[in-house]
Amino acid sequence: MSRLTEISSLPWVRWTAGAVVAVVLLVLPLVSSEYANQNLARIGVFAVAVLGLNVVMGYTGQVSLGQIFFVGAGAYVTGYGANEGWNIGLVLLASILLPGVVGLLVALAAARLGGLAIAMVTIALPIVGVPLAKRLSDVTGGSQGLSSSFSNAPAWTGLFNDQWQLYLVLVIGGATFLLTRNLVRGKYGRAFAIVKANEAVAASMGISPYRYKVLAFTVASLIGGVSGFLYMAVIQFTSPETMTFGHSVTLLASMVIGGAGSIVGSMLGGAYYVLVPQWTNAIDPNMTELLQGALLLLTLFLLPGGLVSLPRAIARRLRRNRRSGGTGHHETPSARPAPGRDGVEETATDGGIPTERQEQV
Amino acid sequence: VGQFIQLVVDGLANGSIYAVLALAIVLVNQATGLVNFAQGGMAVLSTYAAWRLTEQGVPLVVAILVSVVVSFVIGGLIERFVMRRFERGDPDTAVVVTIGLLTLITGLCGWLWSYNNQQFPSLFSLDTVSLFGAAVSVRSIGTFVVVVAIMLLVQALFRGTKFGLALRAVAINPESAAFSGLPVGRLLMAGWGLAAALGAVAGALVAPSLTLTPGMMNSALVYALAAVILGGLSSPIGVVVAACLIGVLENLAAVYVPFIGYDLRVAVPFILVFVVLVVRPQGLFGRKVVVRV
Repeated sequence: MSRLTEISSLPWVRWTAGAVVAVVLLVLPLVSSEYANQNLARIGVFAVAVLGLNVVMGYTGQVSLGQIFFVGAGAYVTGYGANEGWNIGLVLLASILLPGVVGLLVALAAARLGGLAIAMVTIALPIVGVPLAKRLSDVTGGSQGLSSSFSNAPAWTGLFNDQWQLYLVLVIGGATFLLTRNLVRGKYGRAFAIVKANEAVAASMGISPYRYKVLAFTVASLIGGVSGFLYMAVIQFTSPETMTFGHSVTLLASMVIGGAGSIVGSMLGGAYYVLVPQWTNAIDPNMTELLQGALLLLTLFLLPGGLVSLPRAIARRLRRNRRSGGTGHHETPSARPAPGRDGVEETATDGGIPTERQEQV
Repeated sequence: VGQFIQLVVDGLANGSIYAVLALAIVLVNQATGLVNFAQGGMAVLSTYAAWRLTEQGVPLVVAILVSVVVSFVIGGLIERFVMRRFERGDPDTAVVVTIGLLTLITGLCGWLWSYNNQQFPSLFSLDTVSLFGAAVSVRSIGTFVVVVAIMLLVQALFRGTKFGLALRAVAINPESAAFSGLPVGRLLMAGWGLAAALGAVAGALVAPSLTLTPGMMNSALVYALAAVILGGLSSPIGVVVAACLIGVLENLAAVYVPFIGYDLRVAVPFILVFVVLVVRPQGLFGRKVVVRV
């Protein structure tokens, strides 16, 4: 395993791998079915939403139940702007900035109370958001919702709508992922991690927990706005139903189950958000919520690091078995990847929200 | 003026129900340092239990009392078998666990009894009586009186009995409590049980007017959490006052502020919290907490 990480840290291996992934992503929308393209695009939409939640919750350790509100707000701004005939770049900008400003204002107040105040305040966002969207019916279309087809494929591309939309998601979502990855691996990411680990220590190191919590929450709501734009581009319809409390909880469950404090975990979370309700609905629509709650609790009990930690958990289990088998095979107790650029993310994943206590009774 | 008095009394009745839920949250928080987002969901489960019993022909009062006892047991079991693992760890993880519990319990109610609205019989008649020239519903007055009685009872339990003293000891310092021979684990279970029992009462009181659905307590949870923030986590009295204040203000705002109206009144506690957090972040009655590294 350690040899594998050694090889994968070689520059030319990384570049080739990146190029292969890029080519696959470029070709994929052209060759897969319409159904697959739509599902992939939806997964991308919610992967971005989960990524935003991860910034504030997974990396900074502040539970937020309001992320879906920013997705909904972004979708409404997009739909409204597109229907008013604004330039599409302007629409994208507005759909990111408006949720960001709202997020900043909420965070400025909520982060003043330490501890769990952000969770306690943000739970109100979806619950206030739904009646608010119905009330502002001039802009939002009220209960009927708002539809917009700005994201139909332009004639010059010769693409089908589903292909064009998937490309939109890949480009905009990919850029968001890249920027966020750089953010959480750099100096801000380290500040987030220390705020998460211990606020008092952070303060003593000159890192203001308040400022970084506000920053993380604002970044999360900006990313939520991006996700809202993509939501409107892919689904072409939004209504107050988009930002109900239930969806907010599902988003949070997706983040924990995918893997808190992990970029790959965010993608897995997006897949969970889109695919698992489809399966549970197929079993019995009345059981969807029950199964979701059970899955979330099971994850917290059995795999606190989320799906992304599954390979490592299996490897650890195998190693332990081998050692107790007494073959005398010598191995370093923790085959952590070589230090370097990768090490940063690994420790961040390890400190992911639910991890630390897996050995505790 | 008649309408005003009516609104205030109805608001106090609603507020007192939020206060019960908020007290349950404070109780758990004092004992274990975490905020139980499933408190409302657990209350809904208790209310469904009471509703099932009344459907079988059990008298309402008996059904509610049985559901309170059952809730006490379930609350204790949840603490022992779900929360215990997460209590000494990171509070954020524990919060996620309670959110998982909320989803699980809501889903369980929806699966067992469908997501349709069920009629829950009211403890009090729907008649109105004249009070200072205003028509006030008996239900509002009855609810308020019941809640005040319960609070006095809880207060008496905590201040006047050995059991209450032990609970407070565990809340203040579990390690020292354990050294003095108190059964900390069982006391924590009792604390969760008491909170669940309080929630059961709140559910039974609020169900007749909201009608029983799996998500019935979601907005009540928002009110209760707002009351907890406003009152300060460390101050039960502050929380009760804040909850009543929220109940009254949201009723008044619904009628006198045209933009808010009945559909947006859930925003009132949110706005209040906003203002208070900016002006006085430790809550109206809370103390500043000093953290040592």
